[in-house]
Amino acid sequence: MTTKVIKYVGRTTHFKGKTLWEIVGSLKNLGIGRLIVRSVFERYPEPSFMKIVKVETCPDEERRRVRVWVEKTFRGKKLPNVTEIYRTSYKPDYRLIPKNEESKLLASVTEEHSFSEVVLPRTIEMPPLMKKFIVKDHEKKGLEVMKELVMPISYNQSPNRVNRVAQPGEQPTVEFTMGLGKPASPSLYEGVPLK
Amino acid sequence: MISQNTFLKRSWPMLIQCAEAHRKPRWLPVAKSKLYRIPKRPEVSEEERLELLRVNNNYKTQMRAIRRFYHEEMIKEKSTRDSASSEMSLRLEADEWERCVIINDKWNAQVATEREERRKIQLAEMEELALAKMEAKDKELKERLEKAAEEVRRQKALCETFITPDKLEEAIDYALANPIDYNYAIDLHGKTYLGTTTPTNVHKDEKTSTAV
Repeated sequence: MTTKVIKYVGRTTHFKGKTLWEIVGSLKNLGIGRLIVRSVFERYPEPSFMKIVKVETCPDEERRRVRVWVEKTFRGKKLPNVTEIYRTSYKPDYRLIPKNEESKLLASVTEEHSFSEVVLPRTIEMPPLMKKFIVKDHEKKGLEVMKELVMPISYNQSPNRVNRVAQPGEQPTVEFTMGLGKPASPSLYEGVPLK
Repeated sequence: MISQNTFLKRSWPMLIQCAEAHRKPRWLPVAKSKLYRIPKRPEVSEEERLELLRVNNNYKTQMRAIRRFYHEEMIKEKSTRDSASSEMSLRLEADEWERCVIINDKWNAQVATEREERRKIQLAEMEELALAKMEAKDKELKERLEKAAEEVRRQKALCETFITPDKLEEAIDYALANPIDYNYAIDLHGKTYLGTTTPTNVHKDEKTSTAV
């Protein structure tokens, strides 16, 4: 099924590895109990891996896919629920952990997380033009004028979320503004007045 | 310079192909010469990557917030408008209904008066017609009676000239005494030309002779 010599055609990808079926299909008992890693999650310093719990094969029309349930550990945190992988199972981005390295990987999961506790803000200030527009608009419509010109931020809900959103009244540790913010690499802005 | 061959070979109108100069249409497959070409990945330095990531994340957060704000405002406005409009619409509907009922009653009354008048007129017309018919019938009957009476009178007058068994002898005598010769001709002026020579008995004789 898979050849050793790989000839790439077309656009390059960030993916590195095999599809899930290529891994699981060649293993004894469809690889239940083995550990797999997605290479895009290896960008984080904390270990992220998945333990296969259950495998279901797919009909012939979906020959690149397989339905796999895994216990997921993301950034050193084990998720409470078993996760199903189906939609992303075709991506050639999975890597099987050899059995002799499994214990090392499992041991690297520590109770305390290395990343600092980040509390995301609930609100963000409006952009300057929008502030003026909103004030005028509310005056025109006869509504009461907003005292605080802030709006709530919506965050994507994901079980992988590491940073939590601040409770009402809690002080967030990071601040989002409408401006450029603090550059991550100031060397790019040499000679440019930032304010 | 474009050769004539290109015009002949092309499978799609020129207009669409001309939309973008020097481009293959999207529905054509990858050119043979470009089939196994692997485009070079853009090299982005780590600094730039981090900065771009930060800026893009920042932008997405801002945009999400703005979108959410306007979405919620729209929902709020819509709900207030709906509630207001539902009350308004109920009231408007009731008003409209009342108005409609009043107009309907008015129309009904108007139609009723018109109908009464029309019926009166119709009744009068019918009475008139019936009277006329009766009169006509009476008149006809009278005429017929008159006609019959006249006929009777005429017959009665004629009756006197009838030949009864009592008068038979007399009538025979009279007829024998006054023979009438009908053997004559009449011209347009009513002038009669009597038969001059031939007596009736001659005719009779001839007839009898021919019969024999």
